Amino acid sequence: MPKVISIHSYRGGTGKSNFAANLSTTVAALGNRVGVVDTDVPSPGIHNLFCLEPEQIGTTLNNYLWGESSIEDAAYDVSANVGIDGTGKLFLVPSSVKADDIAKILKDGYDVRLMNDGFRNLVKGLQLDYLFIDTHPGLSKDTFLSIAISHILILILRPDKQDYQGTAVTVDVARQLKVRRMLLAINKAHSKLNLDALKQKVEETYNETVAGVFPLSEEVVQLASEGVFCVKYPEHPVSQEFRKVAQQIIEG
Amino acid sequence: MSNLGDLQSLASSITAVTSPFRNYLNDLYAKYRSVNEGAVADYIPELALAKPEWFGICVVTRDGQVFEVGDCDKLFTIQSISKAFVFGLALEDHGREYVNSKVSVEPTGEAFNSIVLDEATNRPYNPMVNAGAIATTDLIKGKNGTERLKRVLEMFKRFTGRDHDINLPVFLSEKATGYRNRAMAYLMLNFGMVSDKIDETLDLYFQQCSILVNAKDLAMLSATLANGGVNPVTKERAIAEQYVQDVISVMLTCGMYDASGEWCYRVGMPAKSGVGGGITAVVPGKLGIGTFSPPLDAKGNSIRGIKVCEDLSRDFGLHLFNVAKPERDLPAWIAGGDGINDW
Repeated sequence: MPKVISIHSYRGGTGKSNFAANLSTTVAALGNRVGVVDTDVPSPGIHNLFCLEPEQIGTTLNNYLWGESSIEDAAYDVSANVGIDGTGKLFLVPSSVKADDIAKILKDGYDVRLMNDGFRNLVKGLQLDYLFIDTHPGLSKDTFLSIAISHILILILRPDKQDYQGTAVTVDVARQLKVRRMLLAINKAHSKLNLDALKQKVEETYNETVAGVFPLSEEVVQLASEGVFCVKYPEHPVSQEFRKVAQQIIEG
Repeated sequence: MSNLGDLQSLASSITAVTSPFRNYLNDLYAKYRSVNEGAVADYIPELALAKPEWFGICVVTRDGQVFEVGDCDKLFTIQSISKAFVFGLALEDHGREYVNSKVSVEPTGEAFNSIVLDEATNRPYNPMVNAGAIATTDLIKGKNGTERLKRVLEMFKRFTGRDHDINLPVFLSEKATGYRNRAMAYLMLNFGMVSDKIDETLDLYFQQCSILVNAKDLAMLSATLANGGVNPVTKERAIAEQYVQDVISVMLTCGMYDASGEWCYRVGMPAKSGVGGGITAVVPGKLGIGTFSPPLDAKGNSIRGIKVCEDLSRDFGLHLFNVAKPERDLPAWIAGGDGINDW
């Protein structure tokens, strides 16, 4: 049975897209058929990590939500861009980066039922083993939907008071939506922190599992979203941590 | 507390979208939308305007959860589906015995517009054929046509939870061309089975058939019956509890025109169809189904609607007389969770 994984955080800038790109690539590299949908329609960006340039993008998620195309038509095979060969495949459904398109979808909204049906059609049409949903931060109807549809919800937080409080709110909402499984991921942890103690404290606070702790990394910043980090630096501790999280998703 | 209520209500509307049961309905929609059989009713020009591709499926559970797929907001005329509910109102107005003295509850096996009365008692056969429906409408109380129509519309509002309008062109067309119904009314007047306010009653009959509804309304109508006569969302009582069984049993025996026997055998859900393309089906104590798809079979029942009800009945064991364990467990599919593979 295919699995849907939503990557979410209450606040922006936690590294959701980076996390989604690295984790989905790691899962695909293990020989799985993986799809990624950028549902962050107000501020899309994950296509950069997969080296998909705006001029290569025709049909987008926006077109699907406007009833102009099927969702499969908006899926781009980016396997080669991230060095995946063999049985693994990686597809991206990007959102439009055109200002007009963003304005239109913000103004008119869209039918969340269509989004739900699109996810399912994509999984069936491309015979996906895993579908990752990169979300817009905060809570809205569409993030509610991606939380409710997920088999696994990954909440990303930084060790920061604003994130702690927001994550508590999101955890409440996720429980209300009867999410099947929730994992927390701590990102951008300062090197002077005791990571094990941090992990334990967060797990106690929210009573949920922390799947991985990612230290603030100069190298990740240096890459500046021009590619997927774990492809460029497979032996880096950050990449190893992603493999650990991927294992939990595949086994769980 | 009000915040918690809002969160709960938003969460429940979202989980209704992602529920495996809605996904199941969505798959049914995809499975049958390409079916190209049947013909849209065209005995009056207004009905012929319906597009064959319109298709909506709505299910409302006894506890008020709403699952919608496809064109569930598209309005169409209720037509014969009104007959079952006006029968309920007549029962409330006069009681069972008096109503039964005017209209029998025997299936005819004849077409819905046949001009035939029970020879021994001069009663029309049942409230679902035109003759019986006109005799039933005749029983609706009110000091004039306007007040009687208002009572009918208020009754539908109690069932669906929203105001209803009449499609005027459909009403006027039905009225202008309804010679056969007029003939039946006069035949029944001849036998003293209806009162002499024939024009007023026929107007009301054509108006009740021209009430605008959507697939969601049809699901609310049957869900209200399934819930013992109380609308599961508004919690308002729509019909006295004692008459719910009268309405449902006549739907089971006569609701699908002269295909009712086959329907009872294959689907086993009390239901009523209309030539506008609607079907409302009751699963007592569980849920109501509303379907909308204009192409009809030779007997006047919506082809896609029949297929949807057949699948639902089989897959979830919703046939009234089913005792076997169904392939899918309805409460589990509605609640979702790990045990369900709907991908």
